[in-house]
Amino acid sequence: MTARRLRAAVILAISAVFLLAWAFPIIWSVLNSFKTDSDVLAYPPKLIFSPTLGAYREVLFGSGSILPNLVSSMIISVGTTIVTMLMAIPAAYALARLRFHGKKFAGFYVLTTQMLPPVGIIIPYFLVLQTIGWIDTYQGIILIYLSFSLPFAIWLLVSYFEDIPLEMEEAAYLDGASRLRTLWRIIIPQVRGGIAVTVVFVFLNAWNEFLFAVVLSGNTVRPVTVAMFNFVSVEQTLWAKLAAVSVLAMLPVVVLGVVAQKQIVKGLTIGAVKGGGRR
Amino acid sequence: MTGRGHVKFRDIVKMHGEFAALKGVSFDIEPGEFFALLGPSGSGKSTTLRILAGLDAPTAGHVFIDGKDVTSTDARDRDIAMVFQSYALYPHMTVAENIAFPLEMARLPKAAIGSAVKEAAQKVKIEHLLGRKPGQLSGGQQQRCALARAIVRKARLFLLDEPLSNLDAKLRLETRAELKKLQRSLGVTAVYVTHDQEEAMTLADRMAVFMAGEIQQVGTPAEVFAQPNSIDIAGFIGNPPMNLVPARYTNGDILVAGHRLKTAARLPDERDVIAGLRPSALRIAPDGLKAQVDLVEDLGDMAVLDLNCGGTIMRMRVGDHDVPREGDTIYVTARPQDIHLFDPTTRKRL
Amino acid sequence: MAASALASAETGNPGAGDFGHALAQRERRFAAALLAPAFLALLATTTFPLIFLVWTSTYRMNLAMPFMNGFVGFENYRMLLIDERFWSSLLISLVYTGTTVALQVAIGLALALLVMDMKRGQGWFRLIAILPVVLSPAVVGMIWRTFMLAPDFGIVDFLAINAGLGSQNWLGDPTLAMVSVIAIHTWQWTPFAFMVLLASLASLPEDIYEAARLDRATAWQRFRRITLPLLRPAIVMVVIMRTMVALTAFAAIFTVTGGGPGTATEILNLYAYRKSFIELSIGYGAALAVALLIVTIVISGVLFALRRAK
Repeated sequence: MTARRLRAAVILAISAVFLLAWAFPIIWSVLNSFKTDSDVLAYPPKLIFSPTLGAYREVLFGSGSILPNLVSSMIISVGTTIVTMLMAIPAAYALARLRFHGKKFAGFYVLTTQMLPPVGIIIPYFLVLQTIGWIDTYQGIILIYLSFSLPFAIWLLVSYFEDIPLEMEEAAYLDGASRLRTLWRIIIPQVRGGIAVTVVFVFLNAWNEFLFAVVLSGNTVRPVTVAMFNFVSVEQTLWAKLAAVSVLAMLPVVVLGVVAQKQIVKGLTIGAVKGGGRR
Repeated sequence: MTGRGHVKFRDIVKMHGEFAALKGVSFDIEPGEFFALLGPSGSGKSTTLRILAGLDAPTAGHVFIDGKDVTSTDARDRDIAMVFQSYALYPHMTVAENIAFPLEMARLPKAAIGSAVKEAAQKVKIEHLLGRKPGQLSGGQQQRCALARAIVRKARLFLLDEPLSNLDAKLRLETRAELKKLQRSLGVTAVYVTHDQEEAMTLADRMAVFMAGEIQQVGTPAEVFAQPNSIDIAGFIGNPPMNLVPARYTNGDILVAGHRLKTAARLPDERDVIAGLRPSALRIAPDGLKAQVDLVEDLGDMAVLDLNCGGTIMRMRVGDHDVPREGDTIYVTARPQDIHLFDPTTRKRL
Repeated sequence: MAASALASAETGNPGAGDFGHALAQRERRFAAALLAPAFLALLATTTFPLIFLVWTSTYRMNLAMPFMNGFVGFENYRMLLIDERFWSSLLISLVYTGTTVALQVAIGLALALLVMDMKRGQGWFRLIAILPVVLSPAVVGMIWRTFMLAPDFGIVDFLAINAGLGSQNWLGDPTLAMVSVIAIHTWQWTPFAFMVLLASLASLPEDIYEAARLDRATAWQRFRRITLPLLRPAIVMVVIMRTMVALTAFAAIFTVTGGGPGTATEILNLYAYRKSFIELSIGYGAALAVALLIVTIVISGVLFALRRAK
């Protein structure tokens, strides 16, 4: 074996270990979700077993169905994404392009709002939402989710708007388009890629959020990340069902992750180049 | 259509903070004229164009188009079309959609737009590209698309901001000729910004030469070439530019590097001057100024010589038949009417 | 250079200077209209809660003992300074942040260098690496807590037994619990560092490596003298971003250990949460949150200064 081939083999081995380390917990959860509780608990762990859909049947259609929670998660995530984008796109355009006093400060402000520890702002949210009766409501959770999705979205979109040459807008203006029409017809179509990246991240962050959801949700609006806890209690853990719920909670984001792989890498890299950003 | 596109600039000042980008600029452009704004970068020519377009507001002064004061008129309402240096094509629209955009904004009926787009595309010979996106076009095709978008609206003024600077040298020459023909056939007033004096010389009916935020000379290319009215213009126009050498004027002669040359100019007193001699105006003559050939740049049909005349460096253009060799000593002179005299302090023509 | 003149001018008034002002004013108004919704939302959801938080931290506000409530000034902060649990949670936060960030960057960079020249298989890395990053930390914590770290049948414990280490109480032993939460966070976020650094590596120009090779630099020298300095901005940025996240991590510890055993994995963030929502001592919890904010600001200030430094 030459040194070169030995080197290749070592690289391959290390790669395999890391790929397995990253993939295994997810694969293992999927396998467990098709087991019975006794198969989950078997020692040594069983890789080969007779698969059953029992756990899924139970968690989806049984008495403690998490279907409403999946719907809650979806409504919250989609709602947050829509509201965030409607606000972030115009704001990011203004920050990237327009000239006004305090522009630097406004950009800095957006950046600093990302630094607030969620555990700190959750206390006031809780007190205020309780007063106005918005605990356990979609509008309450979506409003609060804006606190992290909005700064992130604005900050990500600004870099995309900055990439569009100013001459493009001037040309549109001389062609007789108004400012709003220029924004709508000329600018936004060109930042479609950036908008897609931002939508993916905002959706992921909203779907995965946990702390705010724990404090602000109730029996009506309870996302799946919180509802998952029904299956783990001090007395007993419902192993196979927990696995099934975990898989259902992971499914949308994993699908999104695989489909939007390119967008995610792009979003992460822009973040690292520009700085700031929370995830 | 004549009478459309008369431009009057009066005392336009543009300040960027403390910096004066334009220090009071005035000129007139006649309808149907091809007018060039020529100058080095930072001289204010692009600012002038942007103020004419209404993209920038002047700090002081007035702009008139067709007799109407448009200083405070919005860019959209000035009826002006413009070709940008970067072309500013909308990348997400096809060529046809790009060309149609100004008409669409003017709320023309669909049918009228379609035929107008076709007509404009034919004029710049891109009718076979209408379905493509700008990203699928070559640089030259993009440039034509930008031209089509500008002419489709039949605006009264046609502004071009260095439209050829992104093309390669060969294409630039071809497009230059076509641009001139296009402007002639449309009969539209064109204002053309360039830093390339050759482009301005070949294209323009008249031109304004900008230096450091001021217009130093307005005239036809021939006038500016023949009678540059300052040292800066003399050093800017012509390729290679005019030789500018310190000299002493005495009584119809100038003393250059210890040699006397006759001039056509008549000054009242003996004084120091800067003498301007075009490289093409120098010729070899036995009784001329002694010069050593330092370097020969052979361009095929002609050659440019670097001459050392006792410490004064001059450049000379010669035909391809009698090219001296490097190291040769030659004698050069110029006709009296080819010697331009400038004041060394005011830098103006004498 | 903003789109200075892309605003409709007022008709009428002639002066040139006025036109410039009108344009600028148009631009400002347009900007204000576009910014207003987002900034109102940000004010309502970030700045207002922050003020409220600071205000709350000067009150005794205990939902379990409402009769004791009232303004106490700096009393909560005075208590905080002598609160051993606060100092220990701060220390745990710093250890957690320091180790997870260092591990993410070190492993991420090593893997990126390893994978960079790989012709086949890089796609697999890109695909697999996405997975942990998109998952909810809460779900990740839950999976690790149960199927990975549970005694005997948990895979990690199974491997430990087979490696001759014997079954360990991964989440019940204070030291092992800390190791576990650090490992989980590192597992989830190393792919982030890996992907960013891989992208940065790929963007480095090839020719400087060829030049360095001609200058007879060894592989190690090329790494030390070329790769690392060029990668520095990206590394610093990854460190900053990961530090901010690690400092305020919540779900991945909350779901795994809940801060336990005892307070062994109770980072400052979790302590503030427990004080406010378990012990219902909201005033003191607010003071803890303000302390966390100050720590975050100080650390990010240091990191950004580091970023600017040559």
